[in-house]
Amino acid sequence: MRIRFTLNGRRVEVDAPPHITLLELLRNYLRTTGVKRGCETGECGACTILMDGKPVNSCLILAPMAEGAEIVTVEGLAEDGRLHPIQEAFIEENALQCGYCTPGFLITAKALLDRVPEPSVELIKDALTGNICRCGAYRMIISAVLRASEKMRTTSASQG
Amino acid sequence: MSSSLIEVQREEFSILDSWLKAREFIVVGKSVRRVDSLEKVLGRARYVEDYLVEGMTYARIVKSSVPHGLIESISPGEASSHPDFIDLITAEDVPGQNQVGYYISDQPALAEGKVRFHGEPVALVVARKPESAELLRSMVEVRVKPLPAVFDPLEAMKDQVIIHEEVGSNVVIKTHIGKGDAEKALEESDYVVENEYRMGYQDHAYIEPEGVLAIPKDGEYTVIAPAQYPHLAQLISARVLGVPQSKVRVIQPMIGGAFGGKDDMGPILAAQAVVAAHKTGKPVLLTYSREDSFTSHCKRDPAIIYYKSGASKEGRLTAVQVRIIFDAGAYANRGPFTLWRATAHASGPYEVPNVDSRGFLVYTNKVYQGSFRGFGNPQVQFAAERQMDELAEKLGIDPLEFRLMNILKPGSRTCTNQLLDHSVGIGEALRRVAEASGWREKRRRYGRIENGKARGIGVACAWHGISTSRGVPDWCNAYINVAKDGSVSVYTGIVEFGQGSHTGILQIVSEALGIPVEKINLIGGTSDAPDTGATHGSRGLSFGGTAALIAATKIRKAVQRVAARSFGCSPDDVELRDGWVYCRRDPEKRMRWEEAVKACYLQGEEMSATGYFFMPKERFDEKKGQGQAYVVFSYMAIITEVEVDVETGLTRVLKVWPALCAGRIINPELAKGQVDGAILQGLGYMLLEEIKVEDGRILNPAFTDYLVPTIMDLPEIMDPIYVEDYFKYGPMGAKGLAEMALIPMAPAIGNAIKHAVGVSPREVPYPAEKLYMDLRRVRGG
Ligand code: FES
Ligand code: FES
Repeated sequence: MRIRFTLNGRRVEVDAPPHITLLELLRNYLRTTGVKRGCETGECGACTILMDGKPVNSCLILAPMAEGAEIVTVEGLAEDGRLHPIQEAFIEENALQCGYCTPGFLITAKALLDRVPEPSVELIKDALTGNICRCGAYRMIISAVLRASEKMRTTSASQG
Repeated sequence: MSSSLIEVQREEFSILDSWLKAREFIVVGKSVRRVDSLEKVLGRARYVEDYLVEGMTYARIVKSSVPHGLIESISPGEASSHPDFIDLITAEDVPGQNQVGYYISDQPALAEGKVRFHGEPVALVVARKPESAELLRSMVEVRVKPLPAVFDPLEAMKDQVIIHEEVGSNVVIKTHIGKGDAEKALEESDYVVENEYRMGYQDHAYIEPEGVLAIPKDGEYTVIAPAQYPHLAQLISARVLGVPQSKVRVIQPMIGGAFGGKDDMGPILAAQAVVAAHKTGKPVLLTYSREDSFTSHCKRDPAIIYYKSGASKEGRLTAVQVRIIFDAGAYANRGPFTLWRATAHASGPYEVPNVDSRGFLVYTNKVYQGSFRGFGNPQVQFAAERQMDELAEKLGIDPLEFRLMNILKPGSRTCTNQLLDHSVGIGEALRRVAEASGWREKRRRYGRIENGKARGIGVACAWHGISTSRGVPDWCNAYINVAKDGSVSVYTGIVEFGQGSHTGILQIVSEALGIPVEKINLIGGTSDAPDTGATHGSRGLSFGGTAALIAATKIRKAVQRVAARSFGCSPDDVELRDGWVYCRRDPEKRMRWEEAVKACYLQGEEMSATGYFFMPKERFDEKKGQGQAYVVFSYMAIITEVEVDVETGLTRVLKVWPALCAGRIINPELAKGQVDGAILQGLGYMLLEEIKVEDGRILNPAFTDYLVPTIMDLPEIMDPIYVEDYFKYGPMGAKGLAEMALIPMAPAIGNAIKHAVGVSPREVPYPAEKLYMDLRRVRGG
């Protein structure tokens, strides 16, 4: 069947079988391979994307449900060749090792910062509890989210 | 060490020695950012499943649902009429030898004749579309005639059911080390403690499940394999294909976590995938689902350990007697080595005059064991370190004090009677964590139940031999080429899977050549590089770095010679730094790195070099169980603070103080990442991670009920204390570190629980239910 939606700001139209997941659609039909397969049962967070602004596990969503939605993946975080502050902060705080969980964490963290610009450590942990990092970079990930929050506030202050 | 080795490697020894003595470093010891972080945050890093090749097909394994039985037939069944079905691959399709056994040739790539565990791959189904493979494999018909099976290693040792007829007994390997007379010394000891410990599986649970892409072309094969030793994946692929090793090329993609597990699974999946690629003539991407990963990939060996240790009333250890049974599962795989490592580390990092340590590796009809961070050592260190606390308690001495009274130091002899002549920093590490954690005061204050909760503080140490054991030959290598424009390529077989080895190796080369990291390109983890051995045993940066340092220094020397001629000074006075080559005595005399390289090309100095180094080893007498077990050991001391909820049995780890003795720290920030990660895996091992098995079947093959630490379990982890006890053959004195913090973590928590509420954990994992039951037993009611 034909599915139409917005992917990282671009309108896309794709033919795909209706029973596949959004994760499979993004990876195999649209080559958006930044979205990762970890468990396919909604338990690791590696496949997290933004769907209409909300972080969701793309492995739990059937592809046709994307119809008309606005979808953002890790590939859509950087704009005009400039890294998103959360991406910068992950590099600066060394918040990744193997990097396989990173796209999911970046997306979940961005969603949090969009909602709460100045989150507490408790709130950060709460938001990220569905994302597993087996390499154990959690401490650095928390620092990175705090740093990104600071970056975003200083840029928006200087712009405003 | 043989004198010819000294002769042949004279240059290498002197290179290592001069860097060991260097007083100042520009890049080494600094927190250089990991080189792969940009592509990773952009989502552009290519893991194996992200490769796209023309005509690619998709494979999944078909698994046995019987733990032990004879294969009667395997047929595609209804799958064959599905439009996406391409082929079914079985043992019959293996053109070469159907053998992936690591040390003992007991393991087929695809089951042949017999199945030996529930979840064993018996076939591969190859599909046109990725989403069809899962459906197709459910249609395949496998008929197996069940045989009696055995799951308990103690039962298996009776040999009533034989799992490998060709081996003849389920006890596949026995190990032994020791010295003195432990039996007698224990009889004469003032205090003796004797216990049984039971350790469960641990699953690597890397977030990227296993996968390999095999691409056939004109009788040659390119294999994109998340393996930890590209040349081993190459060798095993060639073996199953029946082609020369040189016809297979292995390339490492980005790897989504390995922790030892992909050292085994990389080659095994490569073998499976190349057979399918060979038969279909198409590129095959074989992937495991998360469930496959749980049911069919190797795990940390479950163990039963009987441990008896004694001390004199003055507080000196007198003897340890240890019996270790490792449950290998259906195949021996790395078991002979994990068990040997456990046997040889059984004393813990202490001076013990009388030691008798014996191990038994036993087959059962369950998923097989494999490499996992710590490699057999976490099991035995748990027992050793819990024993230390129990002995200290009997003696009425503070457990940390008791450890210090017996700790290894330079000049000590280990349990295999190996003399430790240098690089033993554990005593200082222990003293420093004690101070940092407020040990004394907390030992006094904690251990009381208030409002249903109690705090405790516990300590544990670990030692860990770096790289391969005994006389197992060990070498490293690297190849460096400097192009005419001065840019540098480094080829290493060392694999990057998140630990940061590639960044560390780049730092070492950058230091030796005095040029920025950005000018250097590292091509790693590929069979195109010289064979560097495996990236395991914490040897990636320590041994891989040694090779890179030697190769880079050979080039450095060529540059120094050419520059010295032009400056009219001695080569020793030529410095390489910040992209400049200059005379130390007269810094006005200088040229850019690029000019110096050009001059080398014109004046007959070779601008490429290899860094081969064969590790000098001393004798190990297998019969006596004595001699050099490892060239060097790294050490770790950890203190943890826990809070136990007496009503629920729930333990929360609140704080962790790590101290690490891994020689020179090449990159503190990356080292910290390794320590944090290992601490969390150790925490999971002790408190959360439990594989439940019934009649050989894993009952919880999913993250829903196999719990790994989430961000909610994160304790407050202090920055590591580094005691830099330099190692003479390591690059600038570095030793391995990535495994270290996991090893003492479980007993440090166990000892803290004991301090908090008085129950003595003798099992791993030790989740809330177990603590709750033990608490009821101890407290009554
Ligand atoms: S792959 Fe979707 S949550 Fe794990
Ligand atoms: S960085 Fe490896 S899982 Fe998070």
